[in-house]
Amino acid sequence: MMLRLTALLLLSLQLQAAAPPFPQRVQQVINAFAHPANPAPLSYSNIAAKLKLHEDPAECSRRLQELLAEGPTGDMFWMFPVTAIAYLDQGQLSEPARQAMRQSLKTYMPYRGDTENHWLLYYTCLYLMAQQWPDLTGDQWFTGKSSQENMREAAGWIESWVRLTTTRGQGEYDSPHYMGVYLLPMSYLAEWARDPAMKQRASMMLDYLIADYAAESLDGVYVGAHSRVYDNGAVEKWNNVSSDFAWLWFGQGYPLPSPSSFLLFYTLASAYEPPAILQQIATDRSRPYTHYERKRTRNRWRFYDDLHGPVYKTTYMRREYAVSSDQGGTLQPIQEHSWDVTWHVDDPRGVQNTLYSLHPYSSLQELQTYFTFPPDQGVAEVVSSKKSYDSPDKFVGGSAYEQIFQDQDSVIVLYDIPPGTRFPHINGFFSRDLAEVREDPSGWIFARGGDALIACRPLQPYAWRPIEGGGRRLFSPHLRNGMVVQVAARSEFKDMDAFRQAILALPLEFKLDPVPTVRFRSLRGRDLQCTYGRPPAINGAALDYSKWPLFGGPFLEAAVDSEELLLKHRTSRLKLDFRALTRK
Amino acid sequence: MFLMKWMLPLAMLPCALAAQYTLYTCMVTSKGYVVGAKLPPSGIFRKAPAGPWQHAGYNHPFVSALDFDPRNPSVLYVAAGNGLIQATDKGEHWKILTGSDVTELMDVSVDPNAPADIYFSHTRGIRVSHDGGTTWSDASAGLHHKYTMALRVDRQHKGVLLAGNEEGIFRSEDGGRSWKLAGAAGYQALHLEQSPHDPCRWLASTQGGGLFVSSDCGVTFESNGSLAVGRNLSDIAFDPAAPNRLAVAGWGLGVMLSEDNGKTWQSRNTGLPTTNVWSVAFDPATPGRLYAGVHEEALYVSQNYGRSWTKDGLEGSRVFRMRFVPEVRK
Repeated sequence: MMLRLTALLLLSLQLQAAAPPFPQRVQQVINAFAHPANPAPLSYSNIAAKLKLHEDPAECSRRLQELLAEGPTGDMFWMFPVTAIAYLDQGQLSEPARQAMRQSLKTYMPYRGDTENHWLLYYTCLYLMAQQWPDLTGDQWFTGKSSQENMREAAGWIESWVRLTTTRGQGEYDSPHYMGVYLLPMSYLAEWARDPAMKQRASMMLDYLIADYAAESLDGVYVGAHSRVYDNGAVEKWNNVSSDFAWLWFGQGYPLPSPSSFLLFYTLASAYEPPAILQQIATDRSRPYTHYERKRTRNRWRFYDDLHGPVYKTTYMRREYAVSSDQGGTLQPIQEHSWDVTWHVDDPRGVQNTLYSLHPYSSLQELQTYFTFPPDQGVAEVVSSKKSYDSPDKFVGGSAYEQIFQDQDSVIVLYDIPPGTRFPHINGFFSRDLAEVREDPSGWIFARGGDALIACRPLQPYAWRPIEGGGRRLFSPHLRNGMVVQVAARSEFKDMDAFRQAILALPLEFKLDPVPTVRFRSLRGRDLQCTYGRPPAINGAALDYSKWPLFGGPFLEAAVDSEELLLKHRTSRLKLDFRALTRK
Repeated sequence: MFLMKWMLPLAMLPCALAAQYTLYTCMVTSKGYVVGAKLPPSGIFRKAPAGPWQHAGYNHPFVSALDFDPRNPSVLYVAAGNGLIQATDKGEHWKILTGSDVTELMDVSVDPNAPADIYFSHTRGIRVSHDGGTTWSDASAGLHHKYTMALRVDRQHKGVLLAGNEEGIFRSEDGGRSWKLAGAAGYQALHLEQSPHDPCRWLASTQGGGLFVSSDCGVTFESNGSLAVGRNLSDIAFDPAAPNRLAVAGWGLGVMLSEDNGKTWQSRNTGLPTTNVWSVAFDPATPGRLYAGVHEEALYVSQNYGRSWTKDGLEGSRVFRMRFVPEVRK
């Protein structure tokens, strides 16, 4: 155990040491897998990395046959390493090993899954395997379809996914973990697809996905809101796959102690290096900006008329901190993260540099909206892998009873929880890494996170509950509830007391009946109004969600349904046109 | 042609006691399984009369239901996660008949009066093929909400369908081009069955609403009383040997049996390890034999209509559906 920890530490130090140039970063990742520190038998990842380096082909062949003989497992998560191995082979593998790989596509039927990332992996791998073995008949494939039929079906779905993403937004959007699962298939197709259109589409989608991330990266940390995030990654923002990619692409921040397999397979395929404009977008925080995105919900099988609903995201970004939100509601099941404040720290590893609140919602209705679970097993089935889903103490998840309104670095969060709801309270995450926390007699809570000054006004009485591992949970057991949050940079005020005085001077009116309503003059001089269940208003004008862009802000620009994305930085421009498949 | 002459009525009327049947189960071995781990043998298991259980075809975690071609019962149609699967040679050889436009299929029904007409339900409605699965079209255009868990073709009338979706039970007389609400409004219908004795008698189980019954060929359904109201009934079985004998299965309810066509019910759970039961089926070849799929325990069998039970394999499984398919005589 100690040996493994030491190895991981050394690897981590090696990976983060002063961010060498991109090609070297790529090489470091591949080396880490090609030359594993521990003597365990080679995994698919190790074999793929070795083949990339043209090392030990005999051992790779032997071990590949052994792994395949043990029986594939993992569905589309088995398909992606095997697909990479098939393309990295390039004459290195023995014929029996190659035959075993081909045979496994007949004897093993991977489940296509029920999630956007599953399907993208499945169809990308099916496409590339069919391309690799183009003349197989249906009886040689697990699908029962010929190579050509498989390829047509896969290409059709991949193209439809690109179209949907570039018109209505990604469904599994902005996930600091699952972003890797989207980058990987695009990296594969950009490198290995032989159809020039598919290759170009995938290559442009890499720009698109990287841009989507870059505008919401604070020194390599992916700021909220997210469609899906795990419990640890929600509170320790660095602890996500996104950190691996920030380091690889931009040399920013710190990679994870053990690089994710998504990172490895990205580098084994195209190892695409983003163009300079993306580097600039990811790193230029010289001026504060507000960035808008429209995404879509996961497929809603039941209870709704439309398969997807819109997600409206707002992110305010500046050097010291970011504030980000969606509009609230159950936009994604289980792992939604709806709003937060994230502050910059020089070294975010192990730091819980965030603050947010949520209603710990858990319901069969939510699960049956998005999944095909039978009624009695839905919650138990989710809890078997997402342990916190049905916990009253959880810090991840959207709620049907939450509405969020953000303007720049002000946030109003309202809750109207019906009586009888499971877990009738709200949780606020107050990190162990906050400094200068003080509960003011006015009802405001003041705190400092790094160089961000945070004012937070719970609308109902609350109590503090300890969090395992440090920090405090604000627990407020009131059904009509809410929170007003205003953030500012430390540099804007002489000290915390000056910030406090400025906040106390801001007009704030609220009432909780018949539904929560807040009127607040923000630190930026805007009159913000929000009533639960109604569109919010800025300076008296109701927010018109129908005008929300697919991307909007100083760096990215795209209209809904456009199939285009304009990247901007100062005088530089790069336009991705997915209809014409051009990048200009 | 000869085969078809005798096979069709056999398929339509499973009370032909002299016939031999193979029991097929749609199941997943989920006990102890966590996402990402190796999936224990799952998908379709079959058992010939007096034979052992055999895993048929691929290991697959999502197999909801199956039906068979009445012209050749060794050809199965399987509602699965990856699509509608044609499984030939008693389930051994699979071919996915659908593409990327459907996912997570929930039920399947072949029209016995037009065996090339195959219907299945999925997360976004109902689809039909009129050419044995080569091409597909939508058959749920008239339904408001699409999520359809239950689907049956009326065995007496070509193109007459019953479907259970999240808004109740619906009936179509034109192969799914138009639909009318038949009952259980507001309830998610979970399962539908047509009596083998009286083709105008139908039963439907629901999520929370109990059992619904139709005695006018599925045109209207009415509540069958308080049985399982507030619970979820996942399966219904008619005894092919006795017109008044029915069984239902449910979560927390176990197996309930009626000897008077659903007027009164008796619990038949003595000997079952839990009352969380997914499925129930009468053996059409052996009067008195009843099977129950008990959640993550095993498949249980009774030789006395559920008065006592013994374990019959498939340990750790969830058996969602059982189907007795007539043996092909050569």
